[in-house]
Amino acid sequence: MNESILFQIAFILYVISAILYFSFLFSKKENTAGIGFKFAFVGLLFHTIALILRTIECGHAPFTNMYESLSFLSWASILAYIIIEAKYKILKAGPYFILIVIALMALASSPLMPKEATPLVPALQSYWLWLHVSVTLLGEAFFAMAFITSIMYLRADLREKKNKVVKSSPSSEKLDSISYRCIAIGFPLFTLGGLIFGMIWAYKAWGRYWSWDPKETWSLITWFVFALYLHTRIVMGWKGRLSAYIAAIGFLAALFTYFGVNYLLAGLHSYG
Amino acid sequence: MKSIFNLFTSVKLTIVLLIFFALSSGLGTFIPQQRSPDEYVARFGQLANVLIGLQLTKLYQSLWFIVLLCLLALNIIICTLNRLSPKFKKVFRPRLIIKTKELVALKIMTKLKINKSLDTTKKELKRELSSRHYRIKETEKEKKAFLLARKKILGWFGADVVHLGIIIILVGGIISGLGGFKKNLTFSEGEVLDIPEAGIKLRLDKFETEYYPNSSVKDWKSTLTILKKDKSVLSRVIEVNHPLSYKGFVFYQSSVEWDWTNPSVEIWIKKSKNPSFLRKIKLKVGEKVRLEYENTQIAVLYFFPDFVINERNEITTRSLQPNNPAAFIEGWQADEKILSGWIFARFPDYSRIHSNKETDFSFELKDFKTDQFSVIQVRKDPGANFIWAGCALLMLGLFLAFYWSSREIKVILEEMFGKTEITAGGVASKNKDAFQVEFKKIAANLRRLN
Ligand code: HEM
Repeated sequence: MNESILFQIAFILYVISAILYFSFLFSKKENTAGIGFKFAFVGLLFHTIALILRTIECGHAPFTNMYESLSFLSWASILAYIIIEAKYKILKAGPYFILIVIALMALASSPLMPKEATPLVPALQSYWLWLHVSVTLLGEAFFAMAFITSIMYLRADLREKKNKVVKSSPSSEKLDSISYRCIAIGFPLFTLGGLIFGMIWAYKAWGRYWSWDPKETWSLITWFVFALYLHTRIVMGWKGRLSAYIAAIGFLAALFTYFGVNYLLAGLHSYG
Repeated sequence: MKSIFNLFTSVKLTIVLLIFFALSSGLGTFIPQQRSPDEYVARFGQLANVLIGLQLTKLYQSLWFIVLLCLLALNIIICTLNRLSPKFKKVFRPRLIIKTKELVALKIMTKLKINKSLDTTKKELKRELSSRHYRIKETEKEKKAFLLARKKILGWFGADVVHLGIIIILVGGIISGLGGFKKNLTFSEGEVLDIPEAGIKLRLDKFETEYYPNSSVKDWKSTLTILKKDKSVLSRVIEVNHPLSYKGFVFYQSSVEWDWTNPSVEIWIKKSKNPSFLRKIKLKVGEKVRLEYENTQIAVLYFFPDFVINERNEITTRSLQPNNPAAFIEGWQADEKILSGWIFARFPDYSRIHSNKETDFSFELKDFKTDQFSVIQVRKDPGANFIWAGCALLMLGLFLAFYWSSREIKVILEEMFGKTEITAGGVASKNKDAFQVEFKKIAANLRRLN
């Protein structure tokens, strides 16, 4: 068994899980979604082994090119989904969320992504690389979950305003609160991984903890957007639609930090 | 004055500032920073003057950006302090005697009647609350008993700790900006350099570059010795990501520089008509070597590490990195120059040798050797420790704010005809659902007394 076969098995399991989840959306049979959840879980196990093998094969943390980092982000997203689902039971978010994961996995397996492990340039050889990237991506996975529940909130809110009640759908209030719970997990993780571990690593490698390079700056912008979310929501009490919009913008900022900066802007972080 | 103060106590201002801050720092990532004016003119034309005038070309160091940061800092400080003293009062000197009305107004509240005396009921309630780790304060007035049970009171201060952390980080940034010191040292092995700022001298004992099998650089390692009054005090190997700290000064392995003043090259000479002919010669630039063959002499006149022909058609080196090493050689027989031209280490097929005489020599630039300098960066960053302390507070504050849910239950007990009437209400700083569950359980356990 090598890493890429395990990766593909995980991918297939996620796809089956998505198909089951979508058939649940139409048939409304909770059983189907329950099986979908199990497939996602088993997929996660295969994926975990794939990541471990990759680490052993290349001898360093698997975060050094886009393929590895997309694979880890997909893994973290499934993990985040399983945690939130186990705690808050929102089966309806499953299909949309798994779709995001499948998009990430497809991107990772596209021929455009160089897959071979490359030797690390000196600045990247540090256990801070491991801590920095894994904690940040885990935080971003929760932001993605908040994004999905926020979009679902906006739809549920519209529906409720028109007094249409769909029995099996979670109420807008519940979605709003789950979205907040996701950010309550994602924000501290992102702060720790993205900002603090990033600064510590930069200080160890280059002797300066902050240099306004585009990736750093965009992480800070993402952080500010979520700070905005917390302040408008908790201090001013502006819940509901505004919170949902800000959470969505925050996720898009995180997405731009992740993809856009590498491909559109140049800087220290555009290694691979 | 008063109204300016009021402005800074407002969280609405925070929101405006956060948005401004996010937008302007975003703008800075789309305009290349800290380049020369010519580059901006080439790139943006007429717009360049506007960008430079508005300091958008050094946005993060610009006056207006720093003013924005200061406003944000002021906003955090004033806003937090303004709310802190009422909060302190509420948490550390709570009012015990309250009106039933106040409890009834709470979202989480309940009324019970217990068929026991006030004392028994109170004892039971206190036992229940302490078993759930609540700390209890109580008082009595006009035959009524008042209880205040609380836990995790630090949870009320999460946001304040976060803000304190942010302020300390900003202070650290200012200290780094004003008091920081940075210097690049370029050393060769055995060299001693003076660092008067630190009152020490630094010696490079050994420098080596490690390579991966595919010959890309794996690491640079320098063995450094710190000398104080010419006595060695400390010796350590540093590498990328593993700097050496000494009394606030930190020594980083930053990279390597090449010394091209005296390189030597290895050249392989072949003859196309004579496949068994192979001479390997090693020589310094400027040196002439006799081949012991048809009275031939070979000389290397120039060596460029990064050969390029510039726009004025001059041959020069693009950089000091060995990206495209090239040597210019000449061949002599007796006193007659028979050939000259460039040979390239990376592109053996592109050799350009002009011969004045019929010869079938061919040349390959196989290798080159030169001294390498280790580039060490010395920094002193007195702000760094503030940054780490601020980060620790920031994380602690986030933990308190999100996961250290502070809970408070207020109870009024009143005896009426041998029974006890209880009014209770509760507040939690976070996770109100879980609190409500606990609150209901406590009420249910009390009801069991009946
Ligand atoms: C710039 C980054 C900032 C971050 C990351 C941040 C973070 C936070 C957090 C996590 C909370 C706690 C919310 C909760 O209780 O769950 C909070 C609350 C608060 N923040 Fe900030 N904050 C920032 C800036 C500011 C600024 C500039 C102000 C200035 C007015 C401010 C004022 C407040 C206030 C008044 C509260 C509520 C405090 C309370 O509950 O008593 N924050 N902030």
